[in-house]
Amino acid sequence: MHFITFLIKNLMRRKSRSLLTVCGFAVAVGTTVALMGVSESFERAWEASMSGRGIDLIVAEKGAVDQLTMNLDLSIRDRIEAVEGVKIAEPTLVDLLDYVDDEDNLLKTIVQGWEPDGYLFSEIEFVEGRPLKDGDSRKVVLGDTASKNVRKNVGDELLIAGEPFEVVGIYHSYVVFENGAMTVPLQDLQEITAREGKVSAFSVLLEDEMKGKDEELDRIREAINGFENEKGKSLGLDAKRTKEFVQNSLHIQIAHAMAWMTSAIAVVVGSIGVLNTMVMSVVERIREIAILRAIGWKKHRVIRMVMGEAILLSLIGATVGTLGALALVQWLTTLSVTGGFIQGDIAPHVIGKGFALALAVGVLGGAYPAWRAARLLPSEGLRHE
Amino acid sequence: MLIEAENLRKVYPDGKVNALNGVNLHIPVGQYVAIMGPSGSGKSTLLSCLGALDLPTDGRVVFQGESLAEIRDLDAFRSAQIGFVFQSFYLLPTLTAVENVQIPMFEGKLSASERAKKAAELLEAVGMDHRARHLPMQLSVGERQRIAIARALANDPALLLMDEPTGNLDSKTTAEILDLFDRLHADRGMTLISVTHSDDVGNRAERMIRFLDGQVVEDTMLR
Repeated sequence: MHFITFLIKNLMRRKSRSLLTVCGFAVAVGTTVALMGVSESFERAWEASMSGRGIDLIVAEKGAVDQLTMNLDLSIRDRIEAVEGVKIAEPTLVDLLDYVDDEDNLLKTIVQGWEPDGYLFSEIEFVEGRPLKDGDSRKVVLGDTASKNVRKNVGDELLIAGEPFEVVGIYHSYVVFENGAMTVPLQDLQEITAREGKVSAFSVLLEDEMKGKDEELDRIREAINGFENEKGKSLGLDAKRTKEFVQNSLHIQIAHAMAWMTSAIAVVVGSIGVLNTMVMSVVERIREIAILRAIGWKKHRVIRMVMGEAILLSLIGATVGTLGALALVQWLTTLSVTGGFIQGDIAPHVIGKGFALALAVGVLGGAYPAWRAARLLPSEGLRHE
Repeated sequence: MLIEAENLRKVYPDGKVNALNGVNLHIPVGQYVAIMGPSGSGKSTLLSCLGALDLPTDGRVVFQGESLAEIRDLDAFRSAQIGFVFQSFYLLPTLTAVENVQIPMFEGKLSASERAKKAAELLEAVGMDHRARHLPMQLSVGERQRIAIARALANDPALLLMDEPTGNLDSKTTAEILDLFDRLHADRGMTLISVTHSDDVGNRAERMIRFLDGQVVEDTMLR
């Protein structure tokens, strides 16, 4: 018999209690893994949407924390493109708007304003209809997930912010984030949001010979950040590398903070659950532990037994929780409200963090009962009623 | 001498019970000793002190010339030198007979397969090889005590300490268990110390020590 077999058989003695502990633990770890996985997946998708197109810099408003509130003059574009080494500065406008689905429900979604025939359309594959083209007005293209969610196809009309838009194309992007989005001509979005001449940010591509040269990237960033108006006052621009821009996004930071906060709660709840189970288990087995000591077990063997049982419960809970989190995230991709923003997978390092968390909770929850069991004198335990 | 008690005293922490009052004992290797006396006379306390389960308040226990007070790792000492048999067997209910016998072996260096092999041999030695895969609840009380004896022998101890080993058994089963002790004593040359109320056990031993109020009142060589 292996020691692990002995531990498993011990846990099987109180099947209901072990099962409930595993369930509680699975919920805690599953929630943590799902939340961390979703926030990480969202960040990954956003970064991929930019870096996948070879975007080197994002020029945004200095000090602004939310892309939805950024307002830059479109006229800055010419000045950015005039900087030596810059190939394209593509303007984008983003806003959170309401739309009406086919059941007349008023829902909110992120709408992107892109320049028709612009560079950003180059990596998108149209599965139906066509991309936006110059001269388009009140036209919209939908990602395939968004199309399914709003149940609109090419030729249908879609009310966005109360304005009718004709669906002219359905696309599939390699970025899940974009598959859940709606994209309209930049000018249309400026009009319906009363932000004429304004954009949220510029996506900057460098000339091919400048790619991968950090010193050139830094020079261009400094040049853009140093732009001034005719009165010599700074324009307040902040050019960031793509990864840096995504990581500093308010939404990403809030998502990460929520995930970590949930993890902290999970640690406390999980620890208390394991602690309760193991304390009960030790109290019930005082005489048995005394017998084990009497027949030759050393203190550290008793500690290994109690800690082993706690860690085993935690790891089984983590496995169940992780499988549940994978299923949950997969299910979320099928929902209209979330499907466009998350991918159906959870990164291995997030699952690794979930298991590390489980291990930590198992150790925390098992430590006190193990110490209590180990300090028990065999003679006292044998007299215990 | 295998084990000696020198002026052993034990006062429990409340200060009211003097369980041992200056006990002196010298037990040579291979002797079969029965310690008898009424309840509360200190027999079990003596057994705990001899087996390093409890420390005396005064006096000392010497095992093969070495005082237990000077042994740093009493757990390791107990694991290697002492086997315990209890009145209530204390088998683990979710483990089969052969698994219960392996429990003390976790402290040794045997592999899992070696532990299983040795446990099977011990079960054969106590006549329980045919019940190896049974859980304790599927065994009779006599069979459970045989399993507990096999477990006590797991680490080849020099000394077997038994606390009322036949206390829960009927007379027929008691006789069978006592036959087993006789065989262990004869075949293995083991030193056995048995605390008991039973005259049957006392009469099988080579030496009988009577206890009263924490003191030896009679020490008789029976054969």
